[in-house]
Amino acid sequence: MGAPIDQNATLVIGELRLPAQPAKLGLAREYAHQAATAFGLDVDRCHEFAFAVNEAVTNAIRHGSPDAHGHIHLSVRADGDRLTLAVRDYGTFSGYAPIAALGADRGRGFALMAHVMDAVQLCVGSGSTTVRLSKARV
Amino acid sequence: MGFFYIGDEAPAEVAHHGDDVVVLVAGGELDYAASPQIRDHLRSRIDAGMRRLVLDLSGTTFIDSTAIGVLVAAVMQLQELDGGSLAVVCAEENRRVLRIFEIAGVDSLIALHRTREEALAELAVAG
Repeated sequence: MGAPIDQNATLVIGELRLPAQPAKLGLAREYAHQAATAFGLDVDRCHEFAFAVNEAVTNAIRHGSPDAHGHIHLSVRADGDRLTLAVRDYGTFSGYAPIAALGADRGRGFALMAHVMDAVQLCVGSGSTTVRLSKARV
Repeated sequence: MGFFYIGDEAPAEVAHHGDDVVVLVAGGELDYAASPQIRDHLRSRIDAGMRRLVLDLSGTTFIDSTAIGVLVAAVMQLQELDGGSLAVVCAEENRRVLRIFEIAGVDSLIALHRTREEALAELAVAG
């Protein structure tokens, strides 16, 4: 028998630096779908996972800013039965105006993400915006 | 990159339904990258005088909120133009796309039909 499994362990499954271009959205969906399938989400949940990631990446491309190399960052983590994919862009937020814009522009996308995911987390930092999308194995 | 297409069905096959009826076929992955071309294509048919549009999504494997937003905008534009309409065709087996329409909650705005015949029959009643 191996060492006891730490139930709180977080496993980083992978990272993807994606060119912030609409034509690369298919790649983001494929990445999300593969991660969800490998993690063991059922077929419908894999589709929902990829749908939500597509919405988050679309928002990042439309409203956010890429890093110095023109990329936005996707990373996948597993926490127990929960799979989380984070989408990070490097938009610089100043004051409340961008927050208000979030409500208007990203509102619909967020509502849809929240509808299909178990949890959606938005972290607005001084130099980046991260959306974390989580879904559990049933 | 995601693959998608949109085009007109052979006009002769739908002509008998009325001269303002057009059947469009879109397939592949309808996302933010594809949305501008979908919007332009719908707009060009409306500008050409078409008022009853059928959009067949039977070959569509994915649709996102921006593409659905384009369809909603077309519906609203058509409604303002003497009660025009857009009917979307999506087969029962295309669960992935039907599920996204369900999530988007646009069933009160966009009429979804299982077959093209059903959509055309509905247009005939409406027209």
